[in-house]
Amino acid sequence: MRDVSFGQYYPVPSPIHRLDPRTKLLSVIIYIVTLFFINTFTGFGIAALFLLIIILISKVPLGKVLKSVKAVLFLLIFTFLFTFLFVKGEPDKLIWEWGIIHLYWDRLFVSAKLCIRLLLLVLGPALLTLTTTPMELTDGVESLLKPLALIKVPVHSLAIIMSIALRLIPTLMEETDKIINAQKARCADFDSGNIFKRAKAMLPVLIPLFVSSFRRADDLADAMDSRCYRGAKGRTRMRVLKFRFSDFVMLFFMAVLLTAMLFLKYNWFNWAFIAVLV
Amino acid sequence: MSIEIEKLRYVYSPKTPFEKVALNDVTFTIEDGDFFGIIGHTGSGKSTLVSHLNALTRVMSGKITVDGVDITPKKIDFKALRSKVGMVFQYPEYQLFADTVEKDVEFGCKNIGIADAECKERVKEAIELVGLDYEQVKDRSPFELSGGQKRRVALAGVLAMRPKVLVLDEPTAGLDPKGKREIMNLVRDIRKSCPTTVMISHNMDEVAEYCNKIAVMSDGKLYGVFTPNELFGKGELLKSLGLSVPKVTSIANRLADCGFDIDRGIVRADELVKAIENAVGGKGAEKCAT
Repeated sequence: MRDVSFGQYYPVPSPIHRLDPRTKLLSVIIYIVTLFFINTFTGFGIAALFLLIIILISKVPLGKVLKSVKAVLFLLIFTFLFTFLFVKGEPDKLIWEWGIIHLYWDRLFVSAKLCIRLLLLVLGPALLTLTTTPMELTDGVESLLKPLALIKVPVHSLAIIMSIALRLIPTLMEETDKIINAQKARCADFDSGNIFKRAKAMLPVLIPLFVSSFRRADDLADAMDSRCYRGAKGRTRMRVLKFRFSDFVMLFFMAVLLTAMLFLKYNWFNWAFIAVLV
Repeated sequence: MSIEIEKLRYVYSPKTPFEKVALNDVTFTIEDGDFFGIIGHTGSGKSTLVSHLNALTRVMSGKITVDGVDITPKKIDFKALRSKVGMVFQYPEYQLFADTVEKDVEFGCKNIGIADAECKERVKEAIELVGLDYEQVKDRSPFELSGGQKRRVALAGVLAMRPKVLVLDEPTAGLDPKGKREIMNLVRDIRKSCPTTVMISHNMDEVAEYCNKIAVMSDGKLYGVFTPNELFGKGELLKSLGLSVPKVTSIANRLADCGFDIDRGIVRADELVKAIENAVGGKGAEKCAT
């Protein structure tokens, strides 16, 4: 149960960890948008190199970041196989054909690019959650969404729901572990039998987990009530977010990356060296 | 049935920034018939230690032998081990799940492959052993019972496997004084059918009253295994580990400080009364009277 590497904060001191969460959120958004403009191997290479440099600065071990790919490994493999095997490409690029399976050279490149894009799409946000605590993250989201409060979107409530949910993930994991152990101590068997048997074997874990979640939610509601919690009105914060010089540097580099990729794709001024790269 | 633990070492999340040594070079033996207490501060490794006893936590380095069987290898007979070493966790009532008490109690029994007819018999026996009325509770939902009753049902669920060793992790946590006493008396009764008991506790009074051997843990290390009188005579050692002495012992200590001829290691109320009777009339009485 503890192998959920995606999104687990990795506590080391680094310039990336110290960035304002809003900077990191914006950077990830820019990064994702940028990835959708890229459709050449050169472009993906540059984006990957950029990400690699950020990872090195963040001091999070490369293996830890790559581990988050595990969650989407099947998606990657399926995407690759389906877009490669079952879609027809240019007739002159045919390699081999059998029934509904077609192998085309150009499809190979399209599928490969799709997979690289997916891979890079996962790694960026993974690095965000590895270098930012859930609390910082929700503070950042709340702050970025604040303008929406003008059109009566309950930004604060959404943020507090998010932070409670994030806060309870490790607690529920721990609880699950405990209950699994308690049932294992009564010789419960979770690892054998077919899929239906296994699903049924999880019932002795799920029911106590639900019961305790409701109990916990009740307790939390009581605790908030008894501290006179009444939403956003007049609330001040303990940690005030503040942009620093490094935040502007980060955003500047993100802007450079986005612009560079746009040029690589559209080449507005018909620069020769870009044409060579592509 | 005895349990031997040799040079047990356990590290949480090795090779990450979260790395923490939970157990360090722990060696001791629990003998047949022991009521073995384990005390220590929160985070001293007590729970990690006992979860090794039925292989919920696997041995990382060192060796554990339960009833002559080495449980260190990767592949062992888990069902045989876990039915032999019955483990009752902290707040065991949170593990209840079935729609009737009977079904919940028979869960473990069925899992080890006991035939239905015998299971029923064992369930009845276990429920009565924990002091509940079988006919009255068997068809009720465990969720509508009171807190103390739920805990008994959970305990019965483990007892229905007829373990040879009972491991209890703070069996009285969160109960009122009356509930505490009831559960502890229950544990004492259970020892007639399952004589070897291991108990983690924060309550020194309980440990002093019921255990014949006490292991002291601190920071993942074993400080030693003592008899209650030996251990609680060492008030200074306990204080340095952030642990207290039982109430009875602290009274004995105060009296000894006053000059009465009373052993500082007394842990049981009746021993203390006897010691006071002996001491009164001696020289101490006049000293303290003023």
